[in-house]
Amino acid sequence: MDGRVAHSALAPRPFPLGKALGWSLGAHVGLVLVVFLGGSLFSGPKVDLDQKPIQARLVRKGKPRDEKLLPRKEELPPPPEKVEAAPPPPTPAAPPPPETAKVAIPGVKPQPAAKPQPQPGETAGDRRKKLFGAFDKLSKQKPEEELEGQEDGDELGDAAQAEGERYFGQINAQVGRHYDVSQTIPEQERLRLKADVTLKISRTGEVLRAELSRPSGNGLFDNAVLLAVKRASPFPPPPEHLRSTLQETGVTLRFTP
Amino acid sequence: MKNTILLIALCSTAALAQTPVIQISGANFRPLPVAYPEPMAEASLKKAAAEFDEALSFDLAAAGIFELLDRKGYLADKKEGLTASSIQFNRWADVGAESLVKVQLKQTGQVLAAELRLFSVGPGREELKISESRPVGEVRLLAHKVADALYRHFTREPSPFLSRISFVKKAGSSREVWLADWDGNNAQAIAASGLNMLPSVTPDGNGVAFTSYRRGNPDLWVQTAGGAARALVTGGQMATGIAYSPDGRRIAYALSEGEATQLWVADADGSNARKLTETPYIINSSPSWAPDGKKLAFVSNRGGSPQLYVINADGSGARRLTFQGNYNQTPDWSPRGDLIAFTARDERNAFDLFTLNVESGQVTRLTQDAGNNEEPSFSPNGRLILFTSTRGGGSRLFVMTSDGRQQTPLPVPKGTYQTPDWGPTVKGL
Repeated sequence: MDGRVAHSALAPRPFPLGKALGWSLGAHVGLVLVVFLGGSLFSGPKVDLDQKPIQARLVRKGKPRDEKLLPRKEELPPPPEKVEAAPPPPTPAAPPPPETAKVAIPGVKPQPAAKPQPQPGETAGDRRKKLFGAFDKLSKQKPEEELEGQEDGDELGDAAQAEGERYFGQINAQVGRHYDVSQTIPEQERLRLKADVTLKISRTGEVLRAELSRPSGNGLFDNAVLLAVKRASPFPPPPEHLRSTLQETGVTLRFTP
Repeated sequence: MKNTILLIALCSTAALAQTPVIQISGANFRPLPVAYPEPMAEASLKKAAAEFDEALSFDLAAAGIFELLDRKGYLADKKEGLTASSIQFNRWADVGAESLVKVQLKQTGQVLAAELRLFSVGPGREELKISESRPVGEVRLLAHKVADALYRHFTREPSPFLSRISFVKKAGSSREVWLADWDGNNAQAIAASGLNMLPSVTPDGNGVAFTSYRRGNPDLWVQTAGGAARALVTGGQMATGIAYSPDGRRIAYALSEGEATQLWVADADGSNARKLTETPYIINSSPSWAPDGKKLAFVSNRGGSPQLYVINADGSGARRLTFQGNYNQTPDWSPRGDLIAFTARDERNAFDLFTLNVESGQVTRLTQDAGNNEEPSFSPNGRLILFTSTRGGGSRLFVMTSDGRQQTPLPVPKGTYQTPDWGPTVKGL
């Protein structure tokens, strides 16, 4: 072949098929090794399975208590205000008669206010007593006590301290209020008690299903946790981002004493 | 799944794979609702049955683990039998009972026999049958014995019903020392005249050691009911706060000398006394033994105000225990070892009862807004606390659960009661 033709890009050349296949095979094997062993060689984000679970409780809004003072028993928050039906609109009353204008007239003494007339049988001493009694009542009136809690807490919270997802905190608080267990269970046995109740909650907060997914082995305790869930329902409607999870997968309530 | 909890809220991918888990703890351990109708007995046993009934009812009501339902609400036929087949359990369920206790009393000669049957109302099943008998004159003891067996069935531990208490009762200008059953009944005067104070039940439950001015100087004495008084500690200006070690072999007390009060430990008969604290111008008082006998809790003003401290029984390793409040006193170490009950004056100047968790240091309030509550003393099983309270006027004896939830007055005559002490369970009853 002419030397010029041999150097042309159009000229046919011998293809090293074996070499190419070898490189390809090596590359694939390398890729597979990277995929399978890479996980152990490169440290990615780790999930600590032994992490301590977060206790979710709804924090009550209030003033933190001075740590040097002795503790006081937690006082329950006031019950929610009753929502009553709106009163019927008042019937329009007749306009009041125009009040006569009281204008000070120079040179004319205003009439003194009428003295309170003594009640029949009432002495001056009685009246004094009544007056001082009223003062006394005023001075003895207790200032309204502020409940303890956290400054960024929730008006509906019932715990002084807590952390966690707000909705789960509400479930915790609501169920916790009905979490009554028989005191006759011996303390040694209480240490081992653990029961799971799986709960499915509708978009409106109704309990769709509550089942004992892991019994404790103690009949008194198992009955108590199911009763607590039953008494606590319905729950508030879940927030948008939790709705499908709570309705389809559900939430597990893990009860320990 | 240990790490579950609220990851769903934080990680959407995890949410698809796992069920979120909410940990719920802090159970409200409530007493078991129990119905106990009047015991069945022949008409000739009416008086004994009433006495038995009173003692057993108090045991069940004050034990802290039962909720004794009011008989006025019972719906069942009063003539209902003693066996499961004759009981209409639905009528007991309707009044909220989860357990039903039925008792029958019978007298044979001078022996009174009691048969108690316990039924589980839900399944309508007999759970337990107890038979006990005592001489006719010991009807209250018979009731306590039966109650003890019932208590053991549920808790698998001895009840406090067979223990004794001591207390000081004000009588004119005198302060008398008394020894009584746990419910305040069967009370016997130990020291009925003069000025006597701070009693401590002896390890066998049959006597009391206390501070007495009977020789002019406040010394420590010990005496059994009807027996002669014996001096234990007579040195120093004032010996107070005697406390027996859990094994009953040693005593601890406070002895005032000059401007200081130091703690001492001696053998139970007062011999081999040795000083535990050496703090000039400081008051150390109110020793209380740990259940292992290796440590003592006590009160000291060495930090400026009365606070609780702990010290090893050899006098080493004293350290402060309380840091909240500025007037903490009268410690009593629970026989379970976990708690120390004490009296404290809070920021409202009210005296109330608290417990200190020995391990965590956490202080928990037991009483609040109910007069002044003082001088706690644990029951031998550590489940109950005896104390005085001025709620309702006077200073009366009360018993409450160690968490303060259930508080019951002792059925004792009116009077001013002070510094109660709960002794150990009396053996051989």
